[in-house]
This record gives sequence, structure tokens and C-alpha cells, in this order.
Amino acid sequence: MSEITLTINNKQVKGKQGDTVLDICLANGIEVPTLCHYKGLSDVGACRMCLVEIEKERNFVPACTYPARDGQVIRTHTEKLEKYRRLVLELLFTERNHLCAYCVASGDCELQSLAYKYQMDNARYQYSWPDKVTDSSHPFIVLDHNRCVLCGRCIRTCDELAGAHVLDFGKRGWKTNVCADINQPLGESSCISCGGCFQACPTGAIFSKASAYKGKSSECTSVESVCAICGIGCDIKGLVKNNNLVKVESPDMSKPRGLLCEMGRFGILYPPAERVKTPMKRDKKGKLISCSYEEAFETIARNFGKGGTVAGLVSGKASNETLKAFADLMNKTLKSNMVDVLDGDDYRTISRGIAQFNDKAGLEIEAKLEEILSSDTIVVIGANPIKTHPVIGSYIMRAASKNKANLIIIDPLRNPFTFRASVWLKPPEGKKALAIKALGKSILEHGTARTPADKNKSTANFKDIDIKKAAGELGLDVHDIYKAGEILAESNNGIIIYGEGILQYKDPDLITMILNLASLINKEPKTISLKRYGNSRGAWESGLCHSKGSINADLVKGKAAGIYVLLTDDTADSQISTESLKATEFVAVQTSYLSPITALADVVLPSRLWTESKGSYTTIDGIKKSTTPMIKVSGQIKSDADTLQELAGYMKK
Amino acid sequence: MAKVKVATIWLESCSGCHMSFLDIDEFIIDLAKLVEFHRSPITDIKDFTPVDVGIVEGSVGNEEEKEVLEALRHNCKVLMAWGDCACFGGVCAMRNTLDKEDVLKRAYIETPSTYKGKIPSSPGVPALLDKVYPANQIVKVDCYIPGCPPEPEAIKYGLTELLAGRLPVLPSNIMRFD
Repeated sequence: MSEITLTINNKQVKGKQGDTVLDICLANGIEVPTLCHYKGLSDVGACRMCLVEIEKERNFVPACTYPARDGQVIRTHTEKLEKYRRLVLELLFTERNHLCAYCVASGDCELQSLAYKYQMDNARYQYSWPDKVTDSSHPFIVLDHNRCVLCGRCIRTCDELAGAHVLDFGKRGWKTNVCADINQPLGESSCISCGGCFQACPTGAIFSKASAYKGKSSECTSVESVCAICGIGCDIKGLVKNNNLVKVESPDMSKPRGLLCEMGRFGILYPPAERVKTPMKRDKKGKLISCSYEEAFETIARNFGKGGTVAGLVSGKASNETLKAFADLMNKTLKSNMVDVLDGDDYRTISRGIAQFNDKAGLEIEAKLEEILSSDTIVVIGANPIKTHPVIGSYIMRAASKNKANLIIIDPLRNPFTFRASVWLKPPEGKKALAIKALGKSILEHGTARTPADKNKSTANFKDIDIKKAAGELGLDVHDIYKAGEILAESNNGIIIYGEGILQYKDPDLITMILNLASLINKEPKTISLKRYGNSRGAWESGLCHSKGSINADLVKGKAAGIYVLLTDDTADSQISTESLKATEFVAVQTSYLSPITALADVVLPSRLWTESKGSYTTIDGIKKSTTPMIKVSGQIKSDADTLQELAGYMKK
Repeated sequence: MAKVKVATIWLESCSGCHMSFLDIDEFIIDLAKLVEFHRSPITDIKDFTPVDVGIVEGSVGNEEEKEVLEALRHNCKVLMAWGDCACFGGVCAMRNTLDKEDVLKRAYIETPSTYKGKIPSSPGVPALLDKVYPANQIVKVDCYIPGCPPEPEAIKYGLTELLAGRLPVLPSNIMRFD
């Protein structure tokens, strides 16, 4: 890019061809007021706050959309421009019902702070007082059209960052409104609840119910951390007032893993169940009662010390430090190898599948999440990332809308992508393997220049398939299989994402087949498996997964005398069979929340939430990221690792 | 030097601006040496006499308020608006998106504590205007101190500037709309 030189406010500044005037102003520390401009979004020139004067131009032009050219002479703050900006503000204030006194955004509002800056102490225009509705149909977000300035930041965030494009302008002219889908209530729309719109909103037009009136940003301390919920590892910023988490924001939505989702932005503001506040043990009548840590440790040590195997189950939500302490307790102190991770089956399936494909590879064979964004074809097999890993869902939708990436879905179930898919193959439940094989054969029939058929060992797996026969058996349209094969054969950069719909079969051959399919698309196969928990990969790589298979069958048979269940702040306790706990003599559970699992426990130990802890987590694609505590732990709850180490101390006595 | 004559009125509002004015601490003693209050909720004088400075708190929502504001404008040289209601319409302007009849019905008939209510029709009760207006949409206003209520600091700034013969425009750092 060639360098250009301009004069802004009598100062020589440099930029490069392709920059807008605003880009160059911002890069050179020249402050230009903006309202509809937002970092990471395209510019539209809607608000007219950034108007500048350029010599030899007929009119004032918006800096955010105007291309900078070599030799331009620009002024940003002439008396006339400043007068116009105040005028724009007065027009905005009189257009809708901007009454700050009881607005949720007062103090955080960009429109308000611009009005202060331009000393707008009255409006010279007649107020319109339009009768606008407030849409509070959504569980987390309120859309108040009274406060809207139609800057379109929410709409562009929804489209360009979340990839959802739920919001857009509806109606025209004076009646223009932000609307969801085809003017449906937000709560009934296809909104994915990522909350990007409310972070981008400069006024109080879109806000979070859980955060409303709980504190202005200026009254909060802000703590940057990493979201530990689903294993994507998004950067997160908690706004905390009086040790209450008031609002969750992204530190920078324009960055990769900066978007956040329903779970990270809203989920953590709503407690899912009653907290376990103290250690608890059974009294003589069998009722769980509060006790001291010492009593709880003593009870556990006494029962675990009776002889017999002590089993251990750990959730993939535990941090790497907690996992280490758990491994020490189980392997060194209790000398037990009857230990497993809750989603250990997923690991055994995936790792065996990978080993069959390439015996040296391991999880390192999987692609990085950001590779989705640069893919030209995305195959989603048996997964609904919008629900389980929403930011991956957004990546897929962004790739589809921005890069025109082709989307191929292999899943009998509908998900939010299916209507965007180039091809949606719906094999009946249990027959995904055949569908994958037919797709592989279809790629081979179209031929790929990059992977000559005879040189690629993966081709052998697909050679013998008769596509027409397979289509008949699967009840699929044979043309769909050919079309998908053609797309993949022509793809230069394809990626396969699979999840629960594949892993539920616990069949390593399926994973091998997916890798073989992926290596027909790219020489280096690109796959991503969606892992269930925030630190599943960390737990899998910690060696805590039982190597032979699930320990559940042994537990149900009563082969363990005691069991230690480390749930941390996991609420997905459906992964644990209650039969196995009932068959075990003594059950100790360490968790943040009361649940059907604690109801079966003999001793319950409290656990800190990830928002209260410092810990490292391994993302789906193997990156280690660390959390910073956002809120101080309530009461006397010890850290998970400390609890485990102290218990180990008691065991040794 | 003769004292500056001041009149203040309190229209459709909560009196918060006058409360904030009384909150200017010891400045009120200095002020008393420089100004004398004529018609005002503070003096409880009801009649208008010509003054130098007129101050209006509150928005204009009925016939009486309109008349009072016009009378004040007629009797003062400089008119200053206090608070969001007088400057922008404020909380009172919430009713502007509704029909006047619906507002009256809600207030006099539909409130849960009302039994056999009826909308007052006596000629002694001033009629509601169709909308609630900020002061500058009824009469000419010379300067504004917004805020809900304005900080005592802002009120003090406004009065000090006026006494010095300047029309105050609040600096950004003490301007508030909430």
C-alpha cells in the first residue's frame, strides 16, 4: 500500500492508500467526535457527527466513510463544523424520546456525553414525541425504540461480528425502526442472544435486563479475564460493583474470541441453582447439615481409609491446577486408578479415531478455531455449535456471509445454520457413517487436483461405495450428494466440525472416517471436535481419562468402596449416573451447587466458581488461557486445589 | 448597588431544583446580600412584580402553568430555566407519547386506590395541554441549567455568571442530565 500525506488542522500527517479520513485522524491522535462508528465494524456515515471540511470539496463530508487521498487539506474543528455537530445532536434528541433522568444508560451513554461536550443545554427544535414501543419479549435483552438514534451499530454487530443478521432496519424514512427478523418481537426472533448489540449500542436503546440500574460503568471496577464456560476461551470483562458482577462485556469485540455468547454474557449473571456455601455432612437422621472443613475432611478420610478402591470422577470444568491436585489425590494419596473425566468417552473415541488415522498425531491434528474464518467450505456433522459453542457458530456464519463460504450440514436435526447451507444432508439417525462415505466417494468422482486419487491413502476408504445405492438407503437425494461432493472437490480450504451427534456413538471409526474425508478436501486434514466442557481438553490431556474405558459399569456393580466426585461449578450433572453413586458405599462431592448429585452425597464440599478463581484452562484447540477472579469468594470457601491438598493431608495421617 | 430582583416559579415538576438551590450551602448568605426574592415558592409571594431575573423550574403541562410562565417572562429581563423539565420536558414529558384522555383516565379512574373516580371538570381546575412542553417552546428562554436536579454547583455557577452580567452556559464538566 502506498503512503499518502495529508494536512489535517495545519499538521502534516501520513496514512496509507485505502484509509478513510477518520482512520488517519485516529491514528494520529486527532480526536473527531463519532457516534455510529464502532471499532471492528464497517462504516456507514449515518450520524454525521464526524463531518469534516476538506478543501476543494463542495460539502462537508463524513470522515468515517470518506477515502483519504494524497494532498488533501482537512479541518476537523472549525466553528461552523462545531455548530453543525451541536445541531445534529439537537435533531437526534428531539427525534425520539431521549429523557435521560430515568434512562438505564444515563452516565454510560455516548449520545449524552456528546451533548455534554457540545454544551447542549436545550434543543431549539420542536420535539416529535413519537409513540415508540419497548420490546422486552427477550429473556435477557430489552429493545427500547424510544432511545434509538438509528446509528445501526447493533445491526452491523449482529451481521458482521455475530454473523447472525437478526437485526436490521425495518420500514422507511420517519418510521424506520431497528427490527428483528421480519419485524418479530426480539424474544420470538432467531436472535442467538450473544449480546453484542447491547454492548455496541451507544444509548439506552438496547440493554441487558440483568444489568439494568445496577450501576454505571464509572461506578464499577472492571476485571479482564477469560470465559471458562465452553472451551473457546473468549476474552471477557466483568464490571463489578460492591463485589457483585453487574455486567459482562467483551474487552474488544473486533478481536477473535472477543464476541461472547449467551452463556458468557448473560448466563453467569443468573445463578443456575442454590450455592453450596459450607462443607456439609449427614447427621444421625441422614440429613445434610453444615459442618467445618475439619469435620468434613475427617469424615472423608475415615471412610476412604476403610480399605477398598476409591474411585474418582472429575468434570471438565475444573481448571488445570484443580485437575493436578485431583490427580495427586487420586493417584498418589489414594493410589487409585479407577479415575475418569465426565466426558472421558468423548476423549477415548476421538483419540482412538485419530490414532487409527495417524498413530503419532494426537489432538494436535485438530485445526485452530480461527481457521474457520478463513475457510471457503465448512462441513458441520452432528453438531449445533450455536447452542453448544455459540462463538464457533458465529465464526461459521461469518465465514458464510462474509467470505461466501459454502456450508454443508450432515445432520438429521435442524439447527440455525441449515437455512444457510448450500447442502443439507439428513441421514437417518445412526447412519451418518454411510453418508460420510457417500460424500467422500462423490468428492473422488469429481476429482481433486490437489490430492491425486492414487497417492492419497484416504481414498481407499471411499472407493467401494455406490453413491446411488447409498442415497437410496439413506433416503437422500443423490443430487445433493453430488452437489456437496462438487463443492468440496473445488474447495481450496475446507474444514470439518463435528460434535455430540458424532461422539454419542462412541465409535472411533467415525472419527477416522471424518479425518479421511477431511484429507480428501485438504492435504492436511482440518477438523475440530466440539468438546463438552470449558476445560475438557485440559482434563483429557491431564491423563485423568481412564485408558481402558468408562468406569461407570464397574461403579454400578459396586466395585468401588468410595467415590470422590469433583464437579466444581459444573451443573451438567446428567453425565453422572445416579445408579453408580447409589451402588457406592461412601460418596463425597465437591461442587458449587446443590443438585441431585449432592442429594446422594455423604459429604459435600463447596467449590468456587470460575468467576471467583484464578486458574488456567485449555481451549478446544489447545491454547492455555488464565482466568482472573472477578468477584471475591463469598464466605469461607477454599480454592478447589487447596481443598484437595488439605484433604490429601488428612488422608496421610 | 441596588439588589438584583429575582422571581422563581415552580411549574410541573417535583421541586427538586429549588431543593438543590437551597443546597448551595453558605453561598446562600452571600447571595442574600446581592439579590432579593420576589414571587417565589420560597417567599410564598403570589403576585408578579417586574424583576431582573426570572427562574423557571418545571415543564408546562396545563393552562395555568402556561399563563404563569408567560407572566414571568413578561415581568423579567432575563429568564433562566432550571432542570431537565424546564430545559427538555423531563420526566413529566413521559406522557407525551400517550393521549391526553388516556392520561386523565389512568390518573383519575384506573389507579388501584381509586373508588368511583371521575375526571375533574370544574372550571377552577386548569385544563391539561395536549402535550407537556419545555419552557423554550412556550416563551423565549435566555439560559439553561439542566440536570435532574441540577447539582447545587451548577445552580451556583448559573447565578454567579448572571450576577456578573453574563448569560451562563454550563461547562461540560458540571453539565448533567440526570
